[in-house]
Amino acid sequence: MYPYTRYHGLSIFLHWAIALGLIFMVGSGVYMVNFEMPKADQFQLFQTHKAAGVIMLWAIVLRILTRWLSKQPPMPEAFTAKEKALAKAGHIALYTALIAMPLTGWLMVSASPFGLPTFVFTDAIKWPHIPFVERNKTIESIARNMHWVIASGLVLMIIGHIGAVVMHKKKQGISLIQRMWWSKSS
Amino acid sequence: MKYINKTAVVIALLVAPFITLSQIKVSNADGTVGFSGKHAGMTFSGEFLKWNAQLLLPPASNAYVNAEFDLRSAETGDSTYDDTLPEGDWFDVDNHPQGTFVSEEVTQTSEGYQVSGKLSLRGKALPVSFLLQEDGGRLTSQFKIDRLSYGIGFESDPDADWVSKYIELTLDIPKQ
Repeated sequence: MYPYTRYHGLSIFLHWAIALGLIFMVGSGVYMVNFEMPKADQFQLFQTHKAAGVIMLWAIVLRILTRWLSKQPPMPEAFTAKEKALAKAGHIALYTALIAMPLTGWLMVSASPFGLPTFVFTDAIKWPHIPFVERNKTIESIARNMHWVIASGLVLMIIGHIGAVVMHKKKQGISLIQRMWWSKSS
Repeated sequence: MKYINKTAVVIALLVAPFITLSQIKVSNADGTVGFSGKHAGMTFSGEFLKWNAQLLLPPASNAYVNAEFDLRSAETGDSTYDDTLPEGDWFDVDNHPQGTFVSEEVTQTSEGYQVSGKLSLRGKALPVSFLLQEDGGRLTSQFKIDRLSYGIGFESDPDADWVSKYIELTLDIPKQ
């Protein structure tokens, strides 16, 4: 049973790494836009958020590839058909929002009238802009709204995601978290 | 007529070395043309690594100070700035690779030379005046220009929320 009771090791690593990354991205994103701070700090925070966003994009792409190329543990037998359908839809929505976040951020940065480059924590790695949208304020504003709406949706989905794990544990006694951890038990 | 022509040639030959000697030709090899300003409250500064200038100083009656500088050669050492400066909204180097200064008046003062003329950036020629101070064997100057009057960063930051409206230019060139 062992290989199929949990996700692939790389998926597990990426799941938790992305979870930590999201805490930083949501925190820094909300803070840099809404809170008063010296301009220099705000500028630096934007650059850090952009650089971290590129890493998030790669982590999420790798996560999706890993999921696609590895075998998934089947859903617990105890799940009703409705729960299975909900779980599947929920995960598709989570993955969609996860990949849409860095893409809309990238689009916003590429279309920004500032035209600032994105360096991934070092001058040696320069992340390109998406072509043909240079200094396009309409596209920038659409991407900005999408980035915000999807981020809000993602936060709600994550609350639902954690809520579902708690609910299944309490109501059905199913410990779903073991599927997403390295322990070999169960 | 024959003699007058010969005399004229002799006079010209005698005077020519003095004319060429009194013209000062300087470039990035001899001095610096720098700029500085503030971005997000942080001071940035840079240099034009390629420029040429020709000076003919008073008492010469037709005194001038002319310069050309390569806007692509602007370097601050910060890759975020160095990547942004050449862009269309800033120096727009694709359309205007050269900046120029052409003097209209150069007068000698007790401190040095007062120069006024037109500085062209992004295809816009605007009046600028500055004092070239004599400092040992060198001529130095510090003066400010309004980046927005040239349309530099006008789309990105028209209210100077991020990048200061005034940019200080510094000149340091040898007198000979």
